[in-house]
Amino acid sequence: MLLHYFDLSWRSFKRTPLVSSLMVLAIAIGIGVTMTSLSVYHMMASDPIPSKSSQLFSVQLQIMDDGNTWWTKDNLPLQLTYKDATNLYRANTEGKRLSMLRSGFSIYTDSDTVKPFSKSARMTTPEFFDMFQLEFLYGNKWSQQQEENAAPVVVISEELNERLFAGENSVGNIIYLDNESYEVIGVTKNWPLVVKYYDLNNGAFNEPESMFLPFSLVEARELGNWGNTNGWKHEDVRSFKAKLQSEMVWVQFWVQLNNAKQKQDYETFLMAYMEEQQKRGRFNRKELIYSLRDVNQWMEYNNVISEDNKILVALSFMFLAVCLANILGLLLAKFLRRAPEVGVRRALGASKRQIFLQHLVEVAMLGCFGGLIGIVLAQLGLWGVRQSYDYYSSIATMDITMLLSAPIIAITTCILAGLYPAWLVCKTNPAIYLKSQ
Amino acid sequence: MLEIKPIFHALCRSKIGALLLLLQIAITTAIVSNAAFIIEDKVSYLSQETGYPEDEIFSFHVMLFGDDVSSHQQFELDESMLRGLPGVIDAAYISNTPLSGSGSSSDFSINPAPEPGLSARTSYFFTDNHALNTLGLELAAGRNFNESEVIVTDNNEQRADVTIITQALADELFPDTDALGKTVYLGDIALKIVGIIKKAKGPWLKDSRPDSVALIPYINPNISGNFIVRTDASQRAQLTSTIEDEMLKNYDKRVIVTIRGLDEAKESYMAQDTLMMRMLIVLITILVLVTALGIFGLTLFNISKRTKQIGTRRALGARKSAIISYFLVENAMICGVGLILGCIAALLLGQLLMQHFSIAALPTSYIAGTAIMVFVMSLLAVFGPARRAANISPSIATRTI
Repeated sequence: MLLHYFDLSWRSFKRTPLVSSLMVLAIAIGIGVTMTSLSVYHMMASDPIPSKSSQLFSVQLQIMDDGNTWWTKDNLPLQLTYKDATNLYRANTEGKRLSMLRSGFSIYTDSDTVKPFSKSARMTTPEFFDMFQLEFLYGNKWSQQQEENAAPVVVISEELNERLFAGENSVGNIIYLDNESYEVIGVTKNWPLVVKYYDLNNGAFNEPESMFLPFSLVEARELGNWGNTNGWKHEDVRSFKAKLQSEMVWVQFWVQLNNAKQKQDYETFLMAYMEEQQKRGRFNRKELIYSLRDVNQWMEYNNVISEDNKILVALSFMFLAVCLANILGLLLAKFLRRAPEVGVRRALGASKRQIFLQHLVEVAMLGCFGGLIGIVLAQLGLWGVRQSYDYYSSIATMDITMLLSAPIIAITTCILAGLYPAWLVCKTNPAIYLKSQ
Repeated sequence: MLEIKPIFHALCRSKIGALLLLLQIAITTAIVSNAAFIIEDKVSYLSQETGYPEDEIFSFHVMLFGDDVSSHQQFELDESMLRGLPGVIDAAYISNTPLSGSGSSSDFSINPAPEPGLSARTSYFFTDNHALNTLGLELAAGRNFNESEVIVTDNNEQRADVTIITQALADELFPDTDALGKTVYLGDIALKIVGIIKKAKGPWLKDSRPDSVALIPYINPNISGNFIVRTDASQRAQLTSTIEDEMLKNYDKRVIVTIRGLDEAKESYMAQDTLMMRMLIVLITILVLVTALGIFGLTLFNISKRTKQIGTRRALGARKSAIISYFLVENAMICGVGLILGCIAALLLGQLLMQHFSIAALPTSYIAGTAIMVFVMSLLAVFGPARRAANISPSIATRTI
C-alpha cells in the first residue's frame, strides 16, 4: 500500500510541477540555511573528550587582593601564577594534575634539506598525554625524573615528524630548538581536535601545538610565553626570575578528579592552600575563592561559541519557520484543489485514515527531496564559510550526525506542515463532489 | 473603488492561507530588520578608519636562533638594510604590529605607581624614531623622537623617558589641559609626552579603547621582534616576496614569518565579522526571495481556484485593471496586517537580542525601511500572477468545467 502511495505522490508531483518544485525548493533552502549555521554550532559545542569531560577540571584561584577586578564574569583570572601552579603540582594530593603553557621555537635539524621554521610548543608536565588522551605512534612521554631534571627532550606530532623526518621513526634523533639540541623521545598520533579546549586563551579553534616539552624547561631555559601573560597590580618585573616570583598569571593548571569524593577532597585542599598562602602575605582578601570547571563548563565559560553564532542559529530557525509557513500555505492550496478527486476515492470506499496517510506520504516525500537538496545547499554554504574564514576550516563541516539530521529535520518539518492540510482533505464529504460531477 | 469589503469577505472564506501569508510576512519583517541592523553595525566596524595607509605598509616577524650576534645590534643593522632597499620609503622595528590582534597593553597613569591617580588602558608599542613616518601617522602637536632619545639595548635596567601618544589618550588623561610636555607613568616609569598623534589604532580594534595608543622609543628585542616597512602600494607585492631572502642574506640563523600587508593583518583580525556579515546578507536575501516565492505561489493557486469567478466577473463587465487591482488590494490587506505584526515582532526580537547579546537597541528606521521593502516586494510578487488572471477570457464563464 505504501508503494502505491509513493506512486500516487510522484504522480501528484508531476501534475503540478511548478508548485511542487517551489515547495521542495522552499524546504531545501530552509534546511540549507539552518544546517549551515547549525553544523558550525554543533561542531563548536560538541564534547571534545566525551569519556572524560566530567573528570577533567581547570583550576582557577582568586589571587587578586580585594578591590581588583578581572574581565571574566565571576572576576576570576583565567590562569595561575607560576608559583601557585608549581605548588599545586608538587602538593601531595590525589588525582593526576598538570601545569602547562604555550611557548614556541625556531626549529632546524642537522639535515640541510629542511629550512629552519618556527612552531609553537606546549611546555607541560608528562601527565598531559594521559589526561588529554594523546596516543603515541613511536616512543613515549618523558619520565617524572626527566621532568624534574628539565631534560632536553621533546615529543613531536605526526605532522611535524612528517616534515622533519619524512614520517620515519625518529625516536633518538636530535632536533635544534632555538639553537639548543633536544632529543626526540616520542611521536604522537594525529590529534584531530576541533576545539582546543585545554588552552582557550589564543583562539579556541587553533590547531594543537606540534611539540611537547617538559614544563621544567621554562624555568631552566627562561623560555618566553607565547600565550597570555596578565598582571593585576604594579610589580617591578625586570628579570625572568622576578617573573617566576610575581603575581602575574600565565600558567594553565588542570586536575583529573574521578569521583565526587576526590573532587570534594581537592576543594578542601585548595581552601587550605589559600589559607596557608594568606599567612605568607598573599591573597589579601576577605573571601577566598577558587573554581573547578570541567571541560564543558570551561568551554562555556570561555565563550567558545561566539555571540554571532548563537544569533545566526536563532535566525536560521526563524527562517525555517518562514519556510514552514510557506509550505503549509502551498500544501493547503494544492490539497484542497484535489478535493473532488478525494471525494471520489472516499465514495469508492477509502477510509479517512487511508486518505490522511496517503497525503502524509506525499508530504514526507517532498520533505525527503527537500532535505537531500538541502544537504547540497548546506555543503555549499559551509564551503562558502570555509572560503571566507579559513580559521573555521575544521568547524565548517557536517559530521555524520548533521548529515543524518538534515533529512530528518526536513521530513519532520514537512509532516508538521502537512498535518493540517491532510486532515482537512480527509474530512472531505464525498457527497458534494459526486453531485457536482 | 477599491472594493475592500467584498475582498475582505472573500478572504474570510479562506482564512488559513491568508493567515499563513501574514505570518510569513511578519517573521520576515522581524528577521530582516534585525539582521539589517547587525549588518550595518558590522559594515561600519569593518570599514572604519585606522589612521594608517594600510596598503602601503607590510610587516613581518623575525625569530633569531643564532647566538653569535646580539639581537638589538642585528636589528639595527637590519633596519638600515631595509631602508636602503629600492622602493622602501621607511622601515622600523616595532614590538607588535598594529591591527594584528597581538600586542601589549597596560594602564597609563598621571601618577607613578603605586600612587593612585587618573589612568587609562593604553596599548603601547616599543619602536624608534622611524615609526611615525613608516606608519604614515600625522602629528597634531609636538615633535617626533630624536635619535638620542631612542634606547637600543639588551639591558632590562635601561628605560626610555619620552613617549608620543594619541589625541584620544591625551584627552582622556588630561581632559582640561594641554597634554604636550606633561609626564605619564607606565608603572613607575616616567614618560614625558613629546608629541601627540592625530589618530592611530592599537593592535585590537575590538578593544574597549582601540584609539588609546602610545609609542615608546625603546628597542630591547630579546630573540624576536617585528619590522614594519612602508613602500609604494604598487611595489609592495614585489617587496614582500623577496624580503625573506634579503633578511636571511643579512644574517641567516633566524626564521622570518607572518610576512603580510597591514590590510591583510586587519582582514584576518576581522575575518569572523566579515563572515557574519556575509552570512546575514545571504540569509536575508534568500529569506526575502522565499517569502516572495510564497506569495507568488499562493496567488497563482488562488487564481487557478477562482478562474471561473474571474471569468464571470470579466463577462459581467469588469475591466482587466479591476481584476489586477483586486489581487493587489487583497495582497496589500494581508501584507498590511502582516507588517503591523511584523513591526511588533521586530521590536520584540530586537529587545531579546539586546538582552542576551551585546547588541544596541534596534532603531525604528530599520523597521520602517524593512516594512516598506517587504511591502513593495509583495506587490511585485503578486503583480505577475494578477496580470495572468486579468487575461482569463470571459468565455470561461459560459463553459461548465
